[in-house]
Amino acid sequence: MSITDLIYLSQKSLRSNILRSILTSLGIIIGVSSVITMISIGSGARIEVEQQIERFGSNNLIVRSQSSSNRGVSMGANSVNTLTLKDMEALKEELPAIKAIAPRVSLSTQIVANGNNWLATVTGTTNDYFDLGNWKFENGRSFEEEELASGSRVAIIGKTVQKNLFDTDSPIDEVIRINKVPFTVIGLLDAKGGTAWADLDDTVIVPLKTAKQRLVAKKFPGDQIRSMTINVRSSDLLFKTEKDVDTVMRKLHKISANGNPDFVIRNYAQFLNARQESSRVMSILLATVAGISLIVGGIGIMNIMLVTVTERTKEIGVCMSVGAKKRDILLQFLIESLMISLIGGLIGIALGLGVIFGVSEYFKWKMSLDYMSIVLSFVFSSSIGIIFGFYPARKAANLNPIDALRYE
Amino acid sequence: MININSLSKEYVMGDNKLLALDNIDLSINEGDFVSIMGSSGSGKSTLMNIIGCLDVPSSGEYHFRDNNVSTLNSNKLAELRNKDIGFVFQNFNLLPRLNAQENVVLPLLYSGKNLKERNQLAIEALESVGLKDRVHHRPNQLSGGQQQRVSIARAITGSPKLILADEPTGALDSKTGLEIMKILNDLNAKGITIVLVTHEDDIANYGTRIIKMKDGKILEDKKNVNN
Repeated sequence: MSITDLIYLSQKSLRSNILRSILTSLGIIIGVSSVITMISIGSGARIEVEQQIERFGSNNLIVRSQSSSNRGVSMGANSVNTLTLKDMEALKEELPAIKAIAPRVSLSTQIVANGNNWLATVTGTTNDYFDLGNWKFENGRSFEEEELASGSRVAIIGKTVQKNLFDTDSPIDEVIRINKVPFTVIGLLDAKGGTAWADLDDTVIVPLKTAKQRLVAKKFPGDQIRSMTINVRSSDLLFKTEKDVDTVMRKLHKISANGNPDFVIRNYAQFLNARQESSRVMSILLATVAGISLIVGGIGIMNIMLVTVTERTKEIGVCMSVGAKKRDILLQFLIESLMISLIGGLIGIALGLGVIFGVSEYFKWKMSLDYMSIVLSFVFSSSIGIIFGFYPARKAANLNPIDALRYE
Repeated sequence: MININSLSKEYVMGDNKLLALDNIDLSINEGDFVSIMGSSGSGKSTLMNIIGCLDVPSSGEYHFRDNNVSTLNSNKLAELRNKDIGFVFQNFNLLPRLNAQENVVLPLLYSGKNLKERNQLAIEALESVGLKDRVHHRPNQLSGGQQQRVSIARAITGSPKLILADEPTGALDSKTGLEIMKILNDLNAKGITIVLVTHEDDIANYGTRIIKMKDGKILEDKKNVNN
């Protein structure tokens, strides 16, 4: 008996009891969709973490000003700049684990060029900023030492700013007006894309000194800065350095070890680890659901196949009387349970894809569809069909023809 | 064609042993039309099941054509049933989900004939029992007589040497019963050996030889003078 004949006969009997077939495969449906979702969450988180490291650079700590609550009165976020260039120099000196520090002042302001208007974040910093933030140049160059020292009116712009001011034209050597001050564009940065919170390419970068003199003189008087990005020599030193920075900063700002600091240290690796950990927990949870429902689904299949064999005992006898061998009967019932589990697998894959789509749409949670997971689901569901279908099928095949035929 | 020597079949039911067949000797020649008669419990159905290789004897020998059936395994028995024997049952025993043609094709599926050939053979078989226009009907869309004709078509589609009919008219009215008997008679005229189990005299009378059984023994075995 050929396999196509077996499949034909199996689908006939499954279709004659369509509701039962679908209910039977429910466990497999849930199991397989969990497997797919689980794998997608896992690999999505991994890819996201890799991308974030790619975007923000690895081994970075960010120190920001933070208004300390003074005698119970909060001064409001970012209202006071407590960080200074002196802090930066002191940190560099005290902590050899620090490879580089990029200071930053910033403001959000109107940029005008080419008859166009655009609101962008303007950052004043040094050349370290590009290395630490993994910025690449699409065109042009970074600042020259002389430009940094003299406070030249030169600017490097991001992709979004270019698009809005110059469309596709090259912005190099064009003049843009930042807060009415003319700057010459010397570089164009590669696109980084957006995060869930911000468009990283919506940026204009100018020398620190220029910014402090011409753009943010009131906001950042003296040597005040908004934040600094600290690059640590190796990832092993990241957490130790974070503590050291805290200690040194407290000393510089004369804050006791248990007092409220006027700065905050952000460790990006910490955030990424937390993100990875939470998706790992989610994956384990789903793997448990998947495992249990696949086994329960398998038992469900076995149960229904046993019922089917009993129901169709007489029919098995008829088939044997016209010449069906044990093997033919065994294969027919095995293929029936295999079809139930594969149909369950297919529906499960569809459901899993739906869940993946839904979750990534609504929660903006990065999910990556892994084709291996689809292959894996097929392997899972078909092996369950075969394993749990074998006992009922063997029971059918071992029936005595005359007993089966006489069964009422 | 069929040679049975001192064959017995014993059923064990709890503590009781029931001797369904008691030391039977019987031979049937190719082309015979044998009617086996007897009341229920006489062993006639058991004998027929053993002849049809559906059941195995407890002791004794059974030779079917060149095969010593007592020594064959279940696969060989299935092959014999498939190639050389056709069954016609009292309750037709058609598969309810399959249409007439698919039911008739069933034995050919197991013998591994290709799709074109087996559909051809099935349609020919249905034609020969006069059901050319019912090919795609399912059993529940057919009358009892038509269902029995489908089951005869299923029995003959693999061109067997022997047809075993177990009370083929038992579930039919007498007029339809006669039509069925006529078909069996025609098949016998073409050289197919027929063994018929019945308890009705006028049905048994179609046979060229009538065997009467009682309590697992052959009571009487004679040529049918009326036929």
